[in-house]
Formats: sequence, structure tokens, C-alpha cells
Amino acid sequence: MRIAQAADALGITPVFGVSEADRDAPYTRGREVVVLGKARATESYLNRERVVQAAVQSGCTALHPGWGFLAEDPVFASLVEAHGVTFVGPPAHVMAAMGKKTPAKRAMAAAGLGVIEGSEGVLADAEQAAEVAASVGFPILLKAESGGGGRGMRIARSLGDVHAAYGEAQAESAACFGDSRLYLERLLERGRHVEVQLLADRYGNVVHLGARDCSVQRNHQKLIEESPAPTVEPAEMARTFEAAVRATRDIGYVGAGTMEFLLAEDGRLRFMEMNTRLQVEHGVSEMLMDVDLVTAQLRIAAGARLELSQEQLKPRGHVIECRINAEDPARGFAPTPGKVTRFGPPLTPEGARGDIRVDTHAEPGYVVGPHYDSLLAKLLVRGADREDARKKMIEALDAFVIEGVSTTIPFHRAVLSSEAFSRGEYFAGELPGFTAPSETVAGEATSP
Amino acid sequence: MTHVPLNSIGRLRSAFLDDALYEEQRAELGALEARLEERRAEVQAGWGEKYVERVHDKGKLTARERVEQLKDPGTRVFEVGTFVNYGRQFGKLRSPGAGVVTAFAQVEGRHVMVIANDNTVASGAWWPMTPEKIQRAQHMALELKVPVVYLVDCSGLFLPEQSRSFGGARGAGHIFKMNSLLSQAGVPQIAGVLGDCIAGGGYMPIISDRVYMTEQAYMVIAGAALIKGAKSQKITSLDIGGPEVHVHASGCADIRVPDDETLLACIRAEVARLPSTAIDYYRGGTGPMDPAQPARELAGIIPSDARQVYEAEEVLARLVDQGLFWEVMPDIGREMICGIGRVSGLFTAFVINRQGLVDDPEHAKRRRPAGILYRGGIAKISAFSRACESDGIPLVWLQDIAGFDIGAEAERHGLLAYGSNLIYTNSEKKSPVFTILLRKASGAGYYAMAGLPYDPIVQLSTPISRLSVMEGRTLAIATYNTKLDDDFEIVTKDPEERAAIEQGMREVEQRIEADMDPYVAASRLDTDEIVRLDEVRPWLEALIEMSYQGIGARRVKNPRIWSMHDLHELTEGLE
Repeated sequence: MRIAQAADALGITPVFGVSEADRDAPYTRGREVVVLGKARATESYLNRERVVQAAVQSGCTALHPGWGFLAEDPVFASLVEAHGVTFVGPPAHVMAAMGKKTPAKRAMAAAGLGVIEGSEGVLADAEQAAEVAASVGFPILLKAESGGGGRGMRIARSLGDVHAAYGEAQAESAACFGDSRLYLERLLERGRHVEVQLLADRYGNVVHLGARDCSVQRNHQKLIEESPAPTVEPAEMARTFEAAVRATRDIGYVGAGTMEFLLAEDGRLRFMEMNTRLQVEHGVSEMLMDVDLVTAQLRIAAGARLELSQEQLKPRGHVIECRINAEDPARGFAPTPGKVTRFGPPLTPEGARGDIRVDTHAEPGYVVGPHYDSLLAKLLVRGADREDARKKMIEALDAFVIEGVSTTIPFHRAVLSSEAFSRGEYFAGELPGFTAPSETVAGEATSP
Repeated sequence: MTHVPLNSIGRLRSAFLDDALYEEQRAELGALEARLEERRAEVQAGWGEKYVERVHDKGKLTARERVEQLKDPGTRVFEVGTFVNYGRQFGKLRSPGAGVVTAFAQVEGRHVMVIANDNTVASGAWWPMTPEKIQRAQHMALELKVPVVYLVDCSGLFLPEQSRSFGGARGAGHIFKMNSLLSQAGVPQIAGVLGDCIAGGGYMPIISDRVYMTEQAYMVIAGAALIKGAKSQKITSLDIGGPEVHVHASGCADIRVPDDETLLACIRAEVARLPSTAIDYYRGGTGPMDPAQPARELAGIIPSDARQVYEAEEVLARLVDQGLFWEVMPDIGREMICGIGRVSGLFTAFVINRQGLVDDPEHAKRRRPAGILYRGGIAKISAFSRACESDGIPLVWLQDIAGFDIGAEAERHGLLAYGSNLIYTNSEKKSPVFTILLRKASGAGYYAMAGLPYDPIVQLSTPISRLSVMEGRTLAIATYNTKLDDDFEIVTKDPEERAAIEQGMREVEQRIEADMDPYVAASRLDTDEIVRLDEVRPWLEALIEMSYQGIGARRVKNPRIWSMHDLHELTEGLE
């Protein structure tokens, strides 16, 4: 939807590749559509060959992968290019390098970014793990070199734990990923999730579009994002921006990308990973900087130079985004598929043009399907400062009408109204102001 | 169609091979790999700790320490000829690695060939096979046009065996002819003299473009001992041919440096002055990427038992970047797969034998064993090899081949002529060719698929390679043919005669089996190196990068003007 609007603005005819489940989705109305396959993602959105074939057969010159599914798959990017279609994103080899832990970390450290202290690449054995652990300090986290999704990871809180943790992590990695190699990092438990939005053209011109704080997360699922990042010292932020831009140029990055950092209690930003795609929360930076990232992506893919220099990019106020999902916060955020009977986004108040934005594909009558994620809308609000934005967001949430399915609006209202949120005192993974209802009822707790 | 229409090949290992069988095969190979590692360590130890200390006491580094200091930190060294002379005895002595280290290494981001006399083995003397090993390394460098670095520390020919490495067409003196040919071809040669450099050794550095000498080094036609004998003069070798003489008086060397460390740093600086590599240019905007499925799984996918089958596509999928491959002429000669993928981001052609059964195009509804050369397959790989030659695409042959098809039908088809055609094609190749003996390399199949007699630049064996004219069992049957019936059972009923035939057959089989041992081939220089299966991919990366390192040295066409596309259109029809 966002991408189609950007294409329209540039005078490009978009073709939607959709699954059978989405063929009648509201956003496809009046659009050229290619059906990729069945609703199951493995037979449609995740099937590289089908997507490439669809692009070639419909005569597309470029393919925008969106922000999920194949957007970070370097094999897909290569396949697209091999068949004469321009991939809207970074070159496949840059994507591949950023997808691997050790090379990515090494490249970032070389460009002067802070990284999480740990082993120099893969560990030889438990002995070496113990040595490195002792030098970086406990607790430490052992991670699978080929891992992901939290598997093959073990925490060791003291030297005595290292051997056992190493053995377990190794066994689990071998079983899950067929690769038992491990590396080690200092575990920074209380921190904030801060990320820097970057944009690069094909000619080595790189700009940053500020930093977003996405610390309000549940199970690594971001729920609230804001920009600028409220708790980073200006000097540390400036140093990181500069190094992030340099790193982006050094690795030959092209297009929009995000570097994720952990802001530890010592006030330093440490690189965690680079997302080589446009993220769901990109709108926060767009609103803050008054740019259109999707349009920029398409222009860059077509070979255009960056239009704005760093000096021309000026942040305006403070932006907060809430992701409104068809989930029931009272029931452990369980998905609530069904039909949306009423759908009324808040209206922009007089004189506040451009200060409220709603990104959505939903409308009255829209059916939330069971196949994909439950995101209904993204609500973005700009204020003069953080406090102003927070208040305006609460007002906007109050005005947002969605009926037919349960949503996360009550959750957002609770968080934003909380003391902890307004003072900015919470760590990544915490949900300030929100108390989860007890998940187990008596009787259930004893069942196996 | 001018794109290179790469497609994803290969599946998750668990989709075609269950854990139990994979682990079993991995373990079987593991034992062979452990033996390989043990033997490598044995060769690398030279004559042992005592001799290492002796070198250190002189304030010098050992050959392997020199290579370590010369190369870029963190990069891998690819040694060739490790097992030359392995298991050979010269009187009471052995010559690990034939007393010389020959290895591809990266220096200042450029691949070079390093030839370093092993000063822990008889002071770097030349043994029988040492000249051949050095010449082989020089030949690789000449073909690939990669710079050569000589680290000379050599006491001359090992004289008790002098007659075995002196007079022949590949005798010691041919090394200097190779020096000359390298120079003629414009391949940079840089020499460091770090100790003795006597007689023949004296010529080796001189032809190099730049010659460095340490203060411990001397180069002489004849050393102090010989002068004393011939001219009754008492004079040290350093006086006769040290840096004082050669850097200043004779001009046979360019620069004198205090020690090994300084010399190695100077050579690094020389290499840095050479043009940088074209590798990234030829990647055409992309970069090196790993195979989508891990290359190390090869070690559990290919069974050690040569009678067991595996899927050749799964091997390819673990060798090419991202598992992306364009199979050319897929419907012809299905016993072979040929096509193109990238290795380290560079276009690379592959030919591999399928295993198991394939449809028999001669007889509808019949199937026949793959891993054998039939008419269709030979024609296909011959045409493919010619297209690679025409397009300048490096070609990698992955052999697991039992030989040519035999019998009346095969002869009627004229397999002799088809084979000769292929042999002619492979004989006139100028584009880079590399051969890997994955497993079986039998009979004329070994020749037809560019075995070492057809001059691949490098030929690698694995711990499970079986190089032979025929399998031991086959030869045993052929030898005792007249004594066997149609089911290969012994005809005679006489128990004594039976026992004699049985023993004879067993002996033939065992002798052939022993000769098929890859270490036997490597010891004779019938193959260049034995590598673990999980090392095949890193080796290929290095070899392919070297194929694209220089510009102007050979034909490299961009894919728009590949004749490979014509081949594709002619066999697949216009799209």
C-alpha cells in the first residue's frame, strides 16, 4: 500500500504480488495483481521462484520486497537480479555479510562503531570461552554462529557456569542449525533498544535520518517506537551517527537500512545488527524528517542520487508510533481474527496538518485472516516535544474507533499514561504501566 | 537471453539424508580425515624439534614460520605437494614434503605462490622429486599468472641421491628454465635468500626480478668446502658469496637486510607495489557469498564406500555461492551435470558425474548406471568444455567416474571417437581447468575428465579418492579370466588349485587397493594435494580468485558475449 502510493507519486505502475488469501484485499482494488500461489506463505510469499517468475512474466523492471518474508533473503535478491529485475534493496552480498554475526560485527568495529565486547569470532572450545568470558566480565551469553530465534543460546553468570553452558549451547546449535560453532558476548541485561535509520545511494552518498527508540517490546515484537531517542547523550548520539554513516559507506550499502544498537547503562551505544530492509517503524523517521523513504528507495534503485544532504535534513519535534494489532492484551496478546465492523481512524485536528498519520490497509468490513501477522494500523503522532507527543498520542488513541475485533489500543493507552513511560525510565522488554493479567488460573497451573 | 539464468539448487540436508545415516557417513570419513591431519602434522614437523632449534639458534626462522610471516594475517595458506615423497625412504633418511614448502598464500591482498626450502630437512637440500615439486608449483604460477616468491635456504642437491634428480628432462636444472619461462611470460618473481644458496640453488633467485639477501645469506656456484678441495683455499662461504659480494661487487642481488623478519617485510612491500587484483572487478557488482547449504556437510553427504550413491546436485549446491546454478543442456546425457555458478562471486563452470541410475536414452523405459561415460554425456561435456574455453570461464571437473561404457553397443556407437574428441578438446585448453577427484577416478574416465595427464592447473584428491586404471576386483577377475565361469566363480573343483586361485585373486585385489590409496598418488606427484571434503570449497575460492586475479593474461568474456548462450539456445530452443 505504502509502496504503491510511492510508485503512484513517481508515475510508476505497480503490480501487486499477492497470495490467494489476499487477492481481494482492499489495497488491491483497481490495481494490477499477480497471484503468487496459495495462502500458505511457503507457496506464495516465501516461494522465491514464484515471486521472481511473477515479476518477469508481468514485465516488471524492479521488485520491492516489502518488509517481511523475502526482504532480507540474499538468495532471493540474487535470483531477482539474475533474471533481469532490479531488486529494491542493498546488493545481495552486502545483505549476506550483514546476515552473518561475525563479519557484520567486524565491519562495524572497523568503522568505529561500539560493539558488544566478546570473542573475536568463533570460539575454539570451552577453555577459550572461559578465558574470553573472564576478560569481558560476567554475565556472558554464548550464541550459535549460525543461529537465530533465541535457539542455541545460553547464559553463564560465573566462571563455574561456562563449561556446562558451552556444552548445552553447542549441542542445541548442532541439533538446530547443523553447526556447533559458538561465539560469546557480554550479556547486557538492562538496556534500551535504539536504532539508526540510514539511506544510501549507489554512489557512496549516505545520510542518517535520526534514531528511534523501540524499547517497548513484547517477545521481541516492537509495540511503540519514538524518535529522537530520548535517553541517549547528545555526544554519544553524534559519534554514533557519524560512525554509522561511515560504516554504511564502507560496506557498500545501497538503499534504506537500519542499524540496531543496545544502549547500555554506561550510556554507550553498542551495535547489535543491521536490518537490510525498510522496517515497519520507518514512518517514525519519515515524519520526523519530512521525507518519504519508500520513494527514496525506488529512486535510488533506479539509479538516482540522494536528494537531500545531511545538513538539509532537520528533525521537527518528536514522533511516537503505536502499532495497533488485532490482539487481545487481556488474554496474553492472543490474535483475534475476525471481521472489522467499524473502523474510524482519528482525524487530524485543524491546524495540525501532518502531525497525525495512520498507515493502514484496513477498512470497515476488513477480515483479519489467520495466515499472517495481525498488524491493523500504525498510528503516528508528532508533538513539539516528547511530552506534547505523548499527550497527543493518548488523545488520538481515544479517538481511534475499531470494532469487531479486540485490539492493542487499551494497552497503548495504559503504557503512554504511565509515570515510567513519561519519565522514560524503563528497559527494553519491559512494558511500563501494563500489568499482564495472571496467565494461569488455579487448576491449570498443576496440569502438565 | 543474455542473463545467466541462475536458479536455486539443493535442499536442507535433512530433506534427503536422515541424521543417523549422515552421522554414520560423517564418522566413517572422520577417521580418514583424522589420519590426513596426523600425516599433515608429520610432514610439517620436518625432521623434528631438534632441527627447528638448530634453525632458531642461527637466528633464522623455519620455512613454515617464514610463510606464516609473509602472508596476510588471518588468511589461509593452501599448500600443494605436501605428500610428495611420503613414505619413501632414502637409506635411513626420509624427506618430508621433499624438503620444500610450496603453497598459495595471500600477500597484501594478492594471491601468490610461495616456494620455500624446508630448512628443517637436511638444510633445505633437494631430494629426488624436489625439482619436480618445485617445477609443478612454478607451472601452476605460470598458468595462473600469479607472482612467485622464492624463500631460498638450500644446501644444494642431496648428494648421495644426486643422480636421481639431475639428468632428466625434469631434473633440477629445469627449475631455472621455469624461472626463465615465468620471466618471459611476465609473471613477477621475487626472491629472498635467507641462508645457504649453493650450486643449482644459486641460479634459482638470480632470474627473479628482485633479490633480497639477509646478512646470513650467501649465493655461490661452489661453497667453501669445495673450494678447499679444488683450490686449496681456506675461505668462508659468506666471504665467497655473501651480501658484501653480491649486493655490492657482483650485482647478483639487489638489497641486503639484517634478518629474516626484515626480508619478509620487504617482500610484502614489493608485492604491494604490484597492480592490485582484478577479482572484485570481475565479480561484476556482486560479492563473495557462501553456499546456501553449508559446504562442510559434503563430508557427510558423500559416502566413503564408492559403491554407495549420493545426489550430485547436493554436492554442487554446497560448492556454488548461494546454491545458485545454471544447468546447461540438462536433458542430454543425464549421467553428467554441467553448468555455471559463482564461486567467491566469480563465474565458474562445473562438470560432475551423477550417481545411481538414470534413464537410458537408447532403450525406452530402461535405466542404466550413471558415473559412467556414454555417448550423450561425452558429447555434452565436450561441447561444454569448448564453450568454457571460448568464454574464458574456469572449469572445475568433479570426478566420481567408473570409466567409459564398454561392450558391443558402446563400440558400435564409436565411444573411442567420442572420447578422442573430448580428449582433443581438453588438450588444447588455455582457460583455467581444475580437477577434483571426489571419489572414483577410474580408467579412461580419469583421462577424459581432465585428470592430471591432461594438465589441469591443480588436481586435488580427497581422503576417499580412488585413482586407478580399474578396480582391484575387476583386475583380479580379468587376470584369472580363464579360470572363472560366467558368474565369476572358480571353475575347478580341486581344493588345492582353488585355494591357489583364491589367494592369487586376493593378492591382485589387495595390491591394486593399496595403490589406489591417495597418499601413494600424492607421494608420486600423481595428484597435487589431498584435501578434506569440507576444504574443497575454500580451495575452490582460492583457485577461482587466482583465475581472475590479473587482467590481460587470458580471455575473460562478459556473459553477454558468451558462446554458452548459443549452446543453450541450440539445445533448449529459443525462448
